[in-house]
Amino acid sequence: MPTARLANSVLGSFRASSFRPALWRQRCLYHSYEYSQPAPFPPAESAILSSAIAHVPNYGFTLDALKLGARDAGYLDVSTNLLPRGVFDLVNYHLVMQRLALKDSVQFPAEGGQGNGKKLGIGAKVRTLTLSRLRANEPIIHRWQEALAIMAQPSYISPSLAELAKLADEIWFLAGDTSVDTSWYTKRASLSTIYSATEVFMTQDKSKNFAETEQFLDARLEEVTKVGGFLQAFGEWADFTGHSAVNVLRSKGLRI
Amino acid sequence: MNAQIPRQLLRRQLLVGGKRRLAGDVSRGFSSSVRQTQQQTVPPKIPRDAPATTHFGFETVAEALKEQKVGAVFSSVASSYDTMNDLMSLGIHRLWKDHFVRNLNPGRNPLTSPPSSEQGWNILDIAGGTGDIAFRMLDHASTINNDAHTRVTVADINVDMLAEGKKRALQSPYARTPRLKFVEANAEKLDMIPDSSIDLYTVAFGIRNFTHKDAAIREAYRVLKPGGVFACLEFSKVNNPLFDAVYKRWSFSAIPLIGQLVASDRDSYQYLVESIEKFPSQTEFRDMIRKAGFLVPGQGWEDLTGGIAAIHKGVKPAK
Repeated sequence: MPTARLANSVLGSFRASSFRPALWRQRCLYHSYEYSQPAPFPPAESAILSSAIAHVPNYGFTLDALKLGARDAGYLDVSTNLLPRGVFDLVNYHLVMQRLALKDSVQFPAEGGQGNGKKLGIGAKVRTLTLSRLRANEPIIHRWQEALAIMAQPSYISPSLAELAKLADEIWFLAGDTSVDTSWYTKRASLSTIYSATEVFMTQDKSKNFAETEQFLDARLEEVTKVGGFLQAFGEWADFTGHSAVNVLRSKGLRI
Repeated sequence: MNAQIPRQLLRRQLLVGGKRRLAGDVSRGFSSSVRQTQQQTVPPKIPRDAPATTHFGFETVAEALKEQKVGAVFSSVASSYDTMNDLMSLGIHRLWKDHFVRNLNPGRNPLTSPPSSEQGWNILDIAGGTGDIAFRMLDHASTINNDAHTRVTVADINVDMLAEGKKRALQSPYARTPRLKFVEANAEKLDMIPDSSIDLYTVAFGIRNFTHKDAAIREAYRVLKPGGVFACLEFSKVNNPLFDAVYKRWSFSAIPLIGQLVASDRDSYQYLVESIEKFPSQTEFRDMIRKAGFLVPGQGWEDLTGGIAAIHKGVKPAK
């Protein structure tokens, strides 16, 4: 497996700067096995945000939750000015922390271990990881629509989408995907759409233990496999038909 | 370069200071106007062992003189301060100030915050003589956060500006209430303010005129409670070169002219635009705030109207 892998977002991944060694300390654009990632938030911000997250189930993603968090962390109401984007920083904190928690919360049986029965396919791993990430929203699911509304504000759309891209990338990476062709993009794009659709579905889900969300996710994943399979089959058919047509015309003496 | 520094150190400090200032001027040359270039070619008039100097607009004056000269400028503009601000900024300064206050969101909402001994914020508004920021803070706290306890201390070094503020306070609901207080004070020596007693320290369009900006920031650090916020609204550097050219044209030709016509005081407004030009850039000022021990949120500042003004913030660490 490669030690360093391009990741981050679809747009940012091919920038040459991601290879520059000086840059990785500030923003790691790839997954590295050798270096530990720097802490995602500075200590003071982290202290305020982590205490504020505890107030989200009661107060929602609001300034009040932030202020209470600041109080708990030994700061003042006014210290919430440390977070320039206000409540979006709280939402962002949840997104980043849950994404990073994914690699510890889901453990697959050792890679390449023999005699362990059947090996989990990449598709199954993606499903497990996606479900696990969705389950991380459970404690705050009744407040998640507020967060979606905040993320949909014009100035926060692009950082939210970037975070979604990072999540999709993280899931594919943890599932052990090593594709280096155009499917790298299509895999991440399709998982992003499925994840966001399922997340919205989950906010309305009243079923026990979110069984319907699970069904919804399975249905979407199956659709993607079907569509993907169809596209592949169609491609092969078109390729074959095209070549045959050219060959038939050549056999008639046409110079192609 | 500091009044508190012992005598024997002063001379060495002066020499270093002189060199540093020269270097500073050179590095700033590319963005400066023709006038400044001319200024640089003039040989320094100050002899080597003169008292510490600083800049007053594009002039170099003795440090002791700057306070006095700035005082004279603001005494002369106090009465027409508001009209002139509107004319010079085309009314935009009101939007900046509104945004500044709304963004800080002063006041403690008694409905959502847990009951505790303290009520309201203790705000110190430095160089806020005419009360522009103070009234906005109190209005925001009362109407948005239903907080009738937040109080503002307006401090200014200039009595004429304070008199203007007191006059305007009479028309506000806060006159003769404990929520609004006027104090004559030098931002570099806030002896009447105890350590760690202020929630929010604001200075809007004032820090540019201070003789020792770093001393003022250190003093802010002292009076703020742990977790308290230093917030500064000040003119800054325009980012877009094209817009910068237009802005320079406006500030160096139109503003002194408006000053002459409306306030019949060209020199004061000439000083104003020169002092804006001399003020450190966003990154330099952010580093000054950091150096005093503050944590800066995000990149440390927020540009307003393409960088004509910027809001800088610093948070005093809790431990």
